[in-house]
Amino acid sequence: MQRETGSVRVLIVDDEAPARALLREYVAAHDDLVVVAECANGFEAVRAISEQAPDLVLLDVQMPKLDGFEVLELVEHPPCVVFVTAFDEYAVRAFEVHAVDYVLKPVGRERFDRALASARDRLRTPSGGAPRAEALAAAARPPGRHLARILVKDGADVHVIQVARLDWIEAQDDYVAFHAEGRTYLKSQALADLVATLDPARFVRIHRSYVINLDRLARLVLEAKDQRVVVLKDGKTLPVSRAGNARLRELM
Amino acid sequence: MHPLLAGRLRVVLYLLLWTGIGALLTALLVRLEPRSVPHALVFVGPLTLVYAFVCLSALWVCRSNHVGGASPWRLGALLAGAALQSATAWVVLAAGWAALLRVQAGIGPDRDGILRELGVLFVIGFVLYAQSIVSHYLVLAFEAARATERRLLESRVAAREAELRALRTQLHPHFLFNSLNSISALVGSDAEAARRMCQLLGDFLRTSLALGARPLVPLGEELALAERYLAIEQVRFGPRVAVERRSDPEAERCLVPPLLVQPLVENAVKHGVAGRLEGGTVRIRARRSGASLEILVENPFDPDTPPRAGVGLGLDNVRRRIETLEPGSADMDVSRADGVFRVTLRLPARESADAA
Repeated sequence: MQRETGSVRVLIVDDEAPARALLREYVAAHDDLVVVAECANGFEAVRAISEQAPDLVLLDVQMPKLDGFEVLELVEHPPCVVFVTAFDEYAVRAFEVHAVDYVLKPVGRERFDRALASARDRLRTPSGGAPRAEALAAAARPPGRHLARILVKDGADVHVIQVARLDWIEAQDDYVAFHAEGRTYLKSQALADLVATLDPARFVRIHRSYVINLDRLARLVLEAKDQRVVVLKDGKTLPVSRAGNARLRELM
Repeated sequence: MHPLLAGRLRVVLYLLLWTGIGALLTALLVRLEPRSVPHALVFVGPLTLVYAFVCLSALWVCRSNHVGGASPWRLGALLAGAALQSATAWVVLAAGWAALLRVQAGIGPDRDGILRELGVLFVIGFVLYAQSIVSHYLVLAFEAARATERRLLESRVAAREAELRALRTQLHPHFLFNSLNSISALVGSDAEAARRMCQLLGDFLRTSLALGARPLVPLGEELALAERYLAIEQVRFGPRVAVERRSDPEAERCLVPPLLVQPLVENAVKHGVAGRLEGGTVRIRARRSGASLEILVENPFDPDTPPRAGVGLGLDNVRRRIETLEPGSADMDVSRADGVFRVTLRLPARESADAA
């Protein structure tokens, strides 16, 4: 991804101004690096990565709105990433998404330069370590916990939907449609992959193409022999398969 | 079951005591009426054994009648009644036993002799039961004292543990790491600001150690510590963290357990204001109304951000501490409404440590 000029384009993402200033200073000491933008939160970072296509992102983890892992999940072509954080507990997840390095605050210049050297190596052998989408999605979710919110990219915008606000979910070809509070959000994902990350005590797959939030269930109706439908609290009716019926019975 | 019967050694010792009593009784009866020692033993032995167990019933009499519960006269009458009843039952049993021995085995004195003996047994039975009541009261009082002491010790240990936990979680290493990172950044751009930050951090650490070593501190000092903490966070987060403090001088004079407000303020920044794009204001209020002190810490939060790991840890800590340090007289209220997170502490207002 290196440009003709030969310089590495760097994006700095941290919600603390002094932390950004420090990284800027360290980067400035290298002639072949140029800072293309600085972002103070996850939303800005997603936008900047899409628009600027930086070669290298220096990424904080804990930020308002979207954390560093969620940012990576949302960008189409994840760039080379060096995590910079005060928390050492994210290191394993960082390497799962093929981060080049994981630098702890307070950041020393030598340690930073070592991370840069690794990044240069990685950039010289492109496509060497592009993480797969599944790894990114899994890393965006802390281990042992169910998905707490759904991130849907809409152009340069990002919708953040708390799973508690979801009414029902529908499979549409290669997409998943999330229905929440009267609105629909489309995301490119397989329903089965999504179901695996949801809390099974709250979300039930009632049909090959439908998942409902149990909190929204009003009643289960037998329409004909072996043909059931669920009625949600907002009146929406959805078909229930035989296997879906068994899963529903188990939870009710 | 009577606790005395729970251990074999205790039963043996108790029976030994009653063997002594039985021997004395035998000696007494031999002198009272002319009869051989073995004959007297046959009569007294079983009776003593039975009465040994009858006397244990004093435990339930003592348990259901606390000294100081009813008037002393009523209690006295009640206990005397219990002793009379036991002595009477014993004498009736003895009469039957004496008659049986006389008719079946031909041992024992004549009718008048038996009556005299029964009179003596009645008095002794009464005295023995009364003695048992007194012993039981003593043991119960001793046990109560020991239990109180143990409870006191336990609550002291719990308070100390809570204290230690509080101090241990007080200084979150991440806070230090991030602050050091900020200092490192400022050194390059604004040496004077870096110096100020070092000063702030040093002051904060020194004050929190000093406050933590005291059992109670004036609220004013605790609030000053919280403000130092916020000043450091303001360097890190810039205008995103704003602070507003309103506290009455009367409230600031009140004594509170140390490091009670600081974790609340830390929570307000870490899990509240810092999670919002636009930041927000951490509001601290303290006021005294009569005998009660109210401390309130509130902050806006982003409802779209699911709680991060660690939320509530600091709060639980504060709750546990006020529960152990001020049992029954303090409470903590947490509310989350309209994007505002609010913690309210209510503590007894006191200005000197004597009332503690």
